[in-house]
Amino acid sequence: MRYLTDAQTNVKIGLEIHFQLKGEKLFCKCTTEGGDQKFGSFWRKLRAVSGEASMVDKAAVQEMSKEREFHYDITDNSCLVEFDEEPPHIPSEENINASIKAALLLNCKIVDAIDFMRKIVIDGSNTSGFQRTAIVGINGYFQHGNKRIGISTVCLEEEASRKIDERENKIFYSLDRLGIPLIEVSTSPDISSPQEAKEVARNLGMLIRRIGKIQRDVDSIRQDLNISINGGNRVEIKGVQSLSAIEVVLENEIKRQKSLVEISQILKQRGFNQGDYKIEFLDITYEAGKWNSNIIRKSIEQGNKIFIFRLPKLKGLLKNGNYRLGRELADRLRVLGIGGMMHSDELPAYGITENNIVWIRQILNLKEDDAFGIITMPESKLSSVRNSIEERLEQALEGVPAETRAAVGDETRFMRPLPGSSRMYPETDVPLITISDEQLERNIKDLPKSVEERILELESLGIPKQEAMVSLDLGTDEIIEGIVKKYGNPTVSSSFINKVKPKEKDLERLEILFRMLSQGKIPKEALDELYQNPEKIQERIASGDETVAMENRIREIVRSRKNLILERGDNAFKPIMGEVMKEMRGKLDGQIISKIVREEIDKIIHEK
Amino acid sequence: MQCGDVSETIRFMSKVTLKWKGMTISGRFINEIGDYVIIKLDNGYNMSFRKSSVEILEVLEPPVERNNNNHKSSHKNESGGVVIIGTGGTIASYVDYKTGAVKPLKNFQEALFNTDELEALGNIEDEILFNIFSEDMDPEHWIEMARKAFEKIKSGRAVVFAHGTDTMSFSASAVSFMIENNHLPVIFTGSQRSSDRPSSDAYFNLKGAIKLAATTDVGDISVVMHSDISDDFLSIHRGVRVRKMHTSRRDAFKSINDNELGRIDHMLNVKLNDNYRRINREKDMILRDKFERKVSLIYYYPGIDKDVFLEQVEKSKGVIIAGTGLGHIKNDLVSELSQYKDDKIIGITSQCLYGSVNLNVYSTGRNMLSAGLVPLKDMLPEVAYVKLGFLLGNFQFQKARELLNVDLRGEISDRRTN
Repeated sequence: MRYLTDAQTNVKIGLEIHFQLKGEKLFCKCTTEGGDQKFGSFWRKLRAVSGEASMVDKAAVQEMSKEREFHYDITDNSCLVEFDEEPPHIPSEENINASIKAALLLNCKIVDAIDFMRKIVIDGSNTSGFQRTAIVGINGYFQHGNKRIGISTVCLEEEASRKIDERENKIFYSLDRLGIPLIEVSTSPDISSPQEAKEVARNLGMLIRRIGKIQRDVDSIRQDLNISINGGNRVEIKGVQSLSAIEVVLENEIKRQKSLVEISQILKQRGFNQGDYKIEFLDITYEAGKWNSNIIRKSIEQGNKIFIFRLPKLKGLLKNGNYRLGRELADRLRVLGIGGMMHSDELPAYGITENNIVWIRQILNLKEDDAFGIITMPESKLSSVRNSIEERLEQALEGVPAETRAAVGDETRFMRPLPGSSRMYPETDVPLITISDEQLERNIKDLPKSVEERILELESLGIPKQEAMVSLDLGTDEIIEGIVKKYGNPTVSSSFINKVKPKEKDLERLEILFRMLSQGKIPKEALDELYQNPEKIQERIASGDETVAMENRIREIVRSRKNLILERGDNAFKPIMGEVMKEMRGKLDGQIISKIVREEIDKIIHEK
Repeated sequence: MQCGDVSETIRFMSKVTLKWKGMTISGRFINEIGDYVIIKLDNGYNMSFRKSSVEILEVLEPPVERNNNNHKSSHKNESGGVVIIGTGGTIASYVDYKTGAVKPLKNFQEALFNTDELEALGNIEDEILFNIFSEDMDPEHWIEMARKAFEKIKSGRAVVFAHGTDTMSFSASAVSFMIENNHLPVIFTGSQRSSDRPSSDAYFNLKGAIKLAATTDVGDISVVMHSDISDDFLSIHRGVRVRKMHTSRRDAFKSINDNELGRIDHMLNVKLNDNYRRINREKDMILRDKFERKVSLIYYYPGIDKDVFLEQVEKSKGVIIAGTGLGHIKNDLVSELSQYKDDKIIGITSQCLYGSVNLNVYSTGRNMLSAGLVPLKDMLPEVAYVKLGFLLGNFQFQKARELLNVDLRGEISDRRTN
């Protein structure tokens, strides 16, 4: 089989980038900050419900089939609204305006009214069982170099709960993050390579952060990716946590999708058809109990049964180089809570011997091209497991199934089928929020400067262009600006701040250090050590008192030569300086000493 | 076409194409609210357009409406089992996409449960008695509910009322008084989160209520709702002792001056306490289905206007006053009320809710007693109101007065432990 070339692959990538806003949560008065104090917990079940078109969403049903319990930690920044025990409040104008500005920066048409919807999500991450989301702008674009990337929507939505743990059928969440306003930017699938995706994500982030109010912490910006290649369906990848991960996750995903397209071609060549993806299980628990496999024996002890089944014409496609159809099947079973599937491409292994394999192949009457699978599971799961395998095999013939996948490390794993539009229905507790022409005008007037203009502005403060650009990428520009305006030192401050990427809690310390630097109390070489070791700053401040004492001593010496100064004027500097240096050498920077001496001489001359 | 009163010409879910801000947008017509037209886009989002800013280019007929009636009520007309009687409220509501409001379901059982769950719950019949929010309930509705429950019990079925939560305790009290010695359980339940939400409390509440009605001998007409904000337990409250104590939480219902009758865990195991009344089929079941409407419930407050107050008393045959603290009202009202000693029943409860009325402690209280006001011990004000309407409707005046502060259904006790 020939590999597909890049041109044949025709990669189409779309991004969904989420920006958390700082301040007030979207539907209550809780703050987006804090959340580290826990005040007890509660737990719930969720169930799929009818959407607007009365069809229970497929993705939602799948979650429900897992019968899970969702446990929530109550935090200091959560209230009855997050508990789903009080209706949502109307969003603040500040949050609405931030989303309008984001949409305007992306050249979108702004809606006449914001109409919140409920998007059903029953993985428990929203206590209500849905995420509230509304379109703010549509049909915009983002200028990326010479290329225009379409912006299909800019939405304002609520952040989900933060997952803490997952055990058996229980998932544990913290409510600290639930309800934080999110600006979601969705691009059209105009991006054609993983590298471009990463660049667009970074540059777009730089632009959106211009509106301020955007959380700066690493996990506050999350990307979801949409990707399809020729011959395959669209796949949505959830939760890519960093810019650098975008590229590698996409590269691996393209590899996976290519291999699936190739597998579908091979299956067609092998004449794989409808009859081949009907699965029949054979219960071999009795026979398998005699095998020398610990995995199988343990599983039987736990009350599971051992089933084998034919996988027609799939030999060499389950696990063989890039071909990993076995894992695709295993992923589907994993969401049903079934961990134990083995297949012939990976055997002999797990204590299953060549002899066992021969026996299975004989019993199942397998042909040369056929593969087989072994599953350990409770008998009750039989039919849902059969459905899952059959569904996935049917999709194998089509190529790449439409799925929602999760980014796990550098790769992606199956989460659920791609949700349909039937999972959206109106949020009836929040009235239509109209946007008046005046409000729109106000936001247009208040729009932040473009990235280019902002870089010029920072450069005018003496900040090197490179550092200015980096600062917009990192979102450190305002911090640098503030420090430089107060304490100068643009080159040192910008490179230092970009290097240490301070968080909210670090700002006070940063300010103290740059003040000390500007007063000559510390050399720039000491910045790093002091920043990393805050306790040493205190020592320095204490020794700062010594500096004052030395300064006073210098002034004293100068004053003692008042007659000389009155006699010689400025020419008195040299001899006095020599005298002072005799006493002060090595204790204080020479430049600073000379500055103090000059100041004091000037004073005395002017007193005259 | 310009956008005028579009909902008169365009049908729900019609495919429409609009021109807006120079763009062409297509989607399905949902409705109009004021100056806005709401369209559902293909991605599922609703988008609202100011009528003055859009032009409608094209309208295509809506798809055929979905079939709503694929559910067959399982075991109709058989004896035994449970009948769920829908009266409206959040538990039996859906989102009306035309108006965006929450509206009552027409066939709530089907919408609440899938077929498997219905099978598991056993022999269930479902009937819609009315379709109203509980704030719209009147004593006439209570009478209908009592008659319906009586009739269903006679035919061998236990009853679960699916009811709005706002006035559920009034209805539960009314039915409690109107049916004496019910031979099968009558359970009220509702929900604080509508059943169109995945997090709705409707499912657990209703399943628990059905389980309680189908499998126990609880004779108290009861309310079953969440015990706390988790899905751990449901609490079983005596209908004449329960009160909605929170506007929105799912554990809003609390037993007051009474212990809960029991709890139901999330696996639907019922654990009853000793304080419930066992059903006794040796005694006859009696229905008394009249109610005196000229009964008032007056909340006393400092600054209450004497004329307004007395006018309401004057127009009523019976009055329940929710007094302050131990049950007090100001002295100059007391002397005015003494004139009604012989032709009106005036009962005294406390707005503290918790604890008992006692008119013997202070001189005001003693004055109230000599004015002929009846202290109603630890009865809840709303329950006392329902009871007085029931008594005046079904009994002679003297008898009614006599029964008002006698415990009939567990609504009064002389002993409290908290």
